[in-house]
Amino acid sequence: MTDFPQATLQQASDARLKLVEALVRTGHEDRTAFRDLYALTSAKLFGICYRICGERQAAEDVLHDVYLTIWKRAGAYEPHRASPITWLATIARNRAIDWRRAQAVRRSTPIEDALPILDGAPLASETMVADEEAHRLHGCLDGLEDRQRGAIHTAFFDGVTYAELAERESVPLGTMKSWVRRGLAKLRECLER
Amino acid sequence: MSDDIDLDDAPDMAAAELALGILDGDERAVALRRVLAEPGFAQQVERWRQYLAQLFDLWPAMTAPAGVLERVEWTIDGPAAMDVPTPPNRRFFWPAVAGISSVAAAALLLFIVMRPIEYAPHAARPSAAPTMTIVEAPSAMLVASITPVDKGAPVTAVYDPASGSLRLTAATLADANRSAELWVIGGDGVPHSLGMLRPTGASSLAVNQANRARLAAGVTLAVSLEPIGGSPTGLPTGPVVATGALSQV
Repeated sequence: MTDFPQATLQQASDARLKLVEALVRTGHEDRTAFRDLYALTSAKLFGICYRICGERQAAEDVLHDVYLTIWKRAGAYEPHRASPITWLATIARNRAIDWRRAQAVRRSTPIEDALPILDGAPLASETMVADEEAHRLHGCLDGLEDRQRGAIHTAFFDGVTYAELAERESVPLGTMKSWVRRGLAKLRECLER
Repeated sequence: MSDDIDLDDAPDMAAAELALGILDGDERAVALRRVLAEPGFAQQVERWRQYLAQLFDLWPAMTAPAGVLERVEWTIDGPAAMDVPTPPNRRFFWPAVAGISSVAAAALLLFIVMRPIEYAPHAARPSAAPTMTIVEAPSAMLVASITPVDKGAPVTAVYDPASGSLRLTAATLADANRSAELWVIGGDGVPHSLGMLRPTGASSLAVNQANRARLAAGVTLAVSLEPIGGSPTGLPTGPVVATGALSQV
């Protein structure tokens, strides 16, 4: 198994526990827990909204909507099914993508002042309950062709569609679909091995 | 190296594409319909969501602007609390837009769900939905994924409060000797019967007035196995074989 510093893992697992607790208590309409949850997660979720929306005001408005959704839906969170940060981040990403899709204007270039996506898998995963599992996706992505990995990466982090991706890379739409589909198929093969 | 336009040879990765969020227009609508019509497909989408979620680890955090939490709490506390002086810009504009767009999303889902299962490839036209349906679309469509306790495909339930109809995808929870009965478990913890699921194919239930008041986001739906025709006592008598929580679309 992978050899992580024990202290890092312990810290990550304490943080996760704290988050689970805040989220579950939020589900019982505990306003103090909701404020704790906001303090613990708003920077992560704002990072997601900002990168996908591409503008500060929109990202702020989407973030408002995201926490309202979290307040309403926290009761449906099931700790054994997903890590809290995955559950929260998925809501943020989906909301931000909804906002993007509702905009008529396409943004064919990435926003300039977005913080760079971190390079390589972190020591301890926030998203996975078992840290040794967390490196599988990263390892499998490394096995893809550059253009396949690049397209999947951009689709995930920038929330763009096939059409926008094709435009960014200046390739025909069919070519982009083919890259991504083959990349995803290869990824599945690796993940399910 | 396999290059480009031989798209026809490319594998069907619609579940992954939907989870990735890369689809739009008709392709997205078709994939969403498959989520509701094909339990296996819904499971694949969920599995891909879980795989891809590992990428969230790489997402850099960014300090959120001040005041968002306060705005959220004002909104939660309702109109009375909204009397707090509103800055004269578009601060409250987005929540309104968000309301409209989630109504549009609900309308789209309703449109997708309520259409007959057979469809032509270009039948679903999401781009037409928003402007036309905003006004009369129900604002509180609820969905639940009712997951079997043992292995098996989840049943998707879609509730439309406007009509009081509850639609469920095909369930294979019961055997020949028993019926699957659907219950809503409200705040009081008491199960109330919503009706029987059909042994094959999708089910559509008309929800009575008392139960309509019980169906809300966060409430649990459960399926129990009962004697043919339903529980004789009005409460579950057999094992609970599947449960799921309702959430707003």
